[in-house]
Amino acid sequence: MSVEIRIDPILCRGHAICALFFSDGVDLDQWGFGKVAVAVVDAPRDIRRARRAAAACPNGAFIVRERSQDLANAPARPHPESSQPVA
Amino acid sequence: MTVLPSTRTNYPRRTPPRLDSLWADPVVAPIERVGAHVGGLGDPGTLLLSGPAPSPGGEGLVSHLSRWGTVPGIDGAGVRALLRASALDGRGGGGFPLIRKVETALLGGGLPMLIVNASESEPSSRKDRVLCAHRPHLMLDGAALLATALGVDEVVIHLHRASGSPASILEAAISDRRHRGLADPRWRISTGPDRYVSGEASAVAGFVDGGQARPRFTTLPLAVEGPSGRPTVVSNAETVAHLAAIARVGPDAWGSLGASSSPGSRLVTLTGAVPQPGTVLELAGQATIGDALAYQGLTDPPAAVLIGGFAGTWVLGEEAWQTPFTRAALQCLGAQPGCGLIAVLPHGACALTETARIVRYLAGESAGQCGTCVAGLPRLADSCEAIARGSFRRRGIRKMTALADAVLGSGACGHPDAVVRLIRSTLDVFEDDVVRHLAGKPCRASDHPPVLAVPRADHAIGRGDTREWE
Ligand code: SF4
Ligand code: SF4
Repeated sequence: MSVEIRIDPILCRGHAICALFFSDGVDLDQWGFGKVAVAVVDAPRDIRRARRAAAACPNGAFIVRERSQDLANAPARPHPESSQPVA
Repeated sequence: MTVLPSTRTNYPRRTPPRLDSLWADPVVAPIERVGAHVGGLGDPGTLLLSGPAPSPGGEGLVSHLSRWGTVPGIDGAGVRALLRASALDGRGGGGFPLIRKVETALLGGGLPMLIVNASESEPSSRKDRVLCAHRPHLMLDGAALLATALGVDEVVIHLHRASGSPASILEAAISDRRHRGLADPRWRISTGPDRYVSGEASAVAGFVDGGQARPRFTTLPLAVEGPSGRPTVVSNAETVAHLAAIARVGPDAWGSLGASSSPGSRLVTLTGAVPQPGTVLELAGQATIGDALAYQGLTDPPAAVLIGGFAGTWVLGEEAWQTPFTRAALQCLGAQPGCGLIAVLPHGACALTETARIVRYLAGESAGQCGTCVAGLPRLADSCEAIARGSFRRRGIRKMTALADAVLGSGACGHPDAVVRLIRSTLDVFEDDVVRHLAGKPCRASDHPPVLAVPRADHAIGRGDTREWE
């Protein structure tokens, strides 16, 4: 399994707490705002760290998503028009 | 010592920028070298801009129908086939193929939402405004076709509130169409705040959904899930007007107006040191930047041009003059067509000073949401101004580039990235000037009066700043 990590820059208040839990995965800038260093994490240990960082972020800015939620794998729900042949 | 024209202290603050007053009225001007293969449909000179001379209310429905005929009765699959065959790319700045947005939106769940973005946030750009004000029906035809492609019966047209908004012209055009009984979708005109990042797609979509006109942090493309929860397609006004033309002339004839890498013609706005800033031209085929400037009477390459918007790329005039305004050709210069802005820097003016003014303005136009954008952009503006003034130390450059690296990719939207791109392109193209300025010897050009019509950087910024976003 692999997860994708994102930091919502609008919610992030630069507490840098995420970096305490997952220092390899986060770059902090000079103000302490986090920027993800690795977007996709697959080592189980790192996944655990990423999840802990997400749980610790006071603003819910640290987002861990399972890769299966990806656009490419998203189940296609029927749309009134999508059943028509696309040609 | 030189004084920068647009540092915060030099301008009175709290005065809302009157963008209107900064430019002359737009002029619609056909350019002759466009192929004659669209001749049957109107002026052989141009495609989107063909037709009657500019008039206050724009081209009326009767004239439009006599030139273009009604929208051909094509079903959704047919419109999507046109989009695919023409490879129509977005003309708002991103250049994303429209068919991919449409197909993504149809894959997702729920009824898609269609927003035509005619807000044109780029302060000197005029192309969308000219299109909506002078060829409203062509734009509306295209929007109706795109609605068909998406299977939706409502189209939102998003405009900015101020800056010579064509809202009334579009409203009149819509009521004409209704009287005429055209098979149109329901139209909804939305007018939002007149700020730089408010034209960004997620800001537009969020505003139309009832929120503030500020960019959103999105983990999924808007076409998968917009702020309303529905798949949302935001498409530029010029893009949909092209779709209307494609439906009439066919994707092949339309494509042959451009180069293989960027099919179709392209609207550009000239600004800066040209006789009529705000002129909108339609370029087709291998028309070069020199051709566009020659149309305005320029005979020699200027010192440099800024391509693709204020947050664009500088190119030396000599190089730009020969370069066709196509995606591939511009890419060789590290530039992109962006919103089609060509800003001309004359000889004797200082690119570093102009850049400093732009960066200060853009820093003030941050939506005030993302920490690094809020904290970093003003610092970058300080550095740019210090370079322009000649008071920057060589060591500072390393700090500045480190700051630029930190700012890059830090925001919810591409605003900080665009500023960094502009700064990098400035340091790259005007390296000699930068070295001279760093040595404390700015040239005389830095006393040159401001050339580019950069609005005042007088917006207060900061987190929680909710004024002007509703
Ligand atoms: S802990 Fe949360 S708020 Fe703090 S820096 Fe990390 S992501 Fe940002
Ligand atoms: S990056 Fe800047 S402009 Fe973009 S949303 Fe964040 S604060 Fe606003």
